[in-house]
Amino acid sequence: MSSGVDVSAGGGLAAAAGVVPVSRHRRSLAGYLGMPVFLALVLVALYLYVRSQELDSIEVRSLNGSFLLARTWEHIQLTVISTIFVIAIAIPLGVLFTRPFSRSFRPGLLAVVNIGQALPTIGVLALLAVAFLFIGTWAAIVGLVAYTVLPVLRNTMVGLQQVDENILEAGRGMGISKFQVLRRIELPLAVPIILAGVRTALVINVGTATLAAYINAGGLGRVIVAGLSTNRLTVQIVGAVLTAVLALLVDYIAGIAEDVLRPKGL
Amino acid sequence: MTRSTGRGKTVAALGAAVAMLLTACGGSSGSTGSSGGGSGESTDALSGANLTVGSKEFTESDILKYITIAALTNAGAQAKEVSLSGSATVREALLSKDLDMYWDYTGTGWVNILGNTTTDVPSDLYQAVSDADKANGVAWLKPAPLNDTYRIAVNSDFASQNNLATMSDAAAYIQANPDQGTLCAASEFINRDDGLPGLEKAYGFKFSNVNELDLSLVYTQVGSGCNFGEVFSTDGRIIANKLTALEDDKNFFVEYKAALTMRQETLDMYPAIADIMAPISEALTDKVITELNAKVDVDGETAEDVANQWMQDMGFVG
Repeated sequence: MSSGVDVSAGGGLAAAAGVVPVSRHRRSLAGYLGMPVFLALVLVALYLYVRSQELDSIEVRSLNGSFLLARTWEHIQLTVISTIFVIAIAIPLGVLFTRPFSRSFRPGLLAVVNIGQALPTIGVLALLAVAFLFIGTWAAIVGLVAYTVLPVLRNTMVGLQQVDENILEAGRGMGISKFQVLRRIELPLAVPIILAGVRTALVINVGTATLAAYINAGGLGRVIVAGLSTNRLTVQIVGAVLTAVLALLVDYIAGIAEDVLRPKGL
Repeated sequence: MTRSTGRGKTVAALGAAVAMLLTACGGSSGSTGSSGGGSGESTDALSGANLTVGSKEFTESDILKYITIAALTNAGAQAKEVSLSGSATVREALLSKDLDMYWDYTGTGWVNILGNTTTDVPSDLYQAVSDADKANGVAWLKPAPLNDTYRIAVNSDFASQNNLATMSDAAAYIQANPDQGTLCAASEFINRDDGLPGLEKAYGFKFSNVNELDLSLVYTQVGSGCNFGEVFSTDGRIIANKLTALEDDKNFFVEYKAALTMRQETLDMYPAIADIMAPISEALTDKVITELNAKVDVDGETAEDVANQWMQDMGFVG
């Protein structure tokens, strides 16, 4: 499998720091087509399985096209919106934390971010709901963002730190400003590692967004919860498989984005 | 009970004889009209009996168990408790003689035990369940009035402002004020035929919007995120959150009246149990059990203390 994760020397360093490693090989055409074909086959198999079942009134309430489409769309929205917030928070923070002047307040802020990931999302959602009566889509997004800031922040920091000091020196020697060094040298060289963090955040968010069903934020979690609460195995399976397919699809798209956005020559 | 010795059987027979006598007395004193409560003085109607009372995992079942233990002990029996989890488990334990009695619900009996559906519920559910379960050798004592079933609840202030007492009131109100008709409910209620879909059909209306939440969040959301909420009629959090459960005036929701269930052979051996439990059961209304549940779930007292205190306050134990 040429698309497998190749942990090279840089990847080894990243793994040691608890950072998501980067895959370095661009894939062949077959490599690009494999996953979508596989996911399509899974969906077809799922459809045929459900068609072969005799559904009762409770199952039909969850297992119909419009209901499932609406839930999937909610799930995608939850995932994408929360990941956008994560990027907007974590990347600037990562840049800040790698500047020398942030040394004094860095540990404190990092501790806060660490707590965010240490708290289980369901706990955050319950806290928001019980203590602040805050429920719905935005409450779910708060819970998702709190949980996934850390991987993106960590990858941003490591990505920036692993840039060769000599290159930065050369840039400064050419007389460009600190900001231009950051924008034209550091960030482009850190992009692969940052993107690997974003990809992780996306996949985590797809899985965790199923919890949104408990606070009126919809998503595929509603299908799973409906199956659990009414003891309907078929409904549970459909909810779980659709969530897994979505997670793999999001991971696949993020993988393509990594390949496309990676600066030439890296 | 399977392990009772010869001596135990003699005592049991004696106990049964005494119980029969008491039954006769109880019948006459009952007809002369007692002014509430029971005759609390300790008796020895069940002396020598060694009984195990079971419960399911939730507060109400626990309280009912301790009430029963207090009553049995007061009548001279040795009673011990067993806490199990899940309707099927407790029922199985009753049949396998690991326990002698536990409180179950008529709706659970009809659907879970007897395998019927919620669409063909007879009008006298207790009678139907009690009759059908005889085949399994299980007796259902006369049920308590408490009916632990689905209800739609509203904030008490909201109820009085808008004169809402019944589901029909609510249906009319929501049709007149569609912007006020949001329901908070948990997934199971939303999906069950004897939940939301059937309710809306029975009363001929639709909630304007449904917020799907975890059940425990519904109680606190009623009055802030939504005006209406799905609750269980005897949940202590109804009191804690100042809610009013609307009366199901069309009797749509399946009845879940609580009744003490036991193997027929146990009842035959100790028929006094039925007479001891009858007045206690009679006193367990929705209001009473909701308050007892609240003492445990909201005030943090133990189910045992709450049950014993209530038995004393009511004069059922001396």
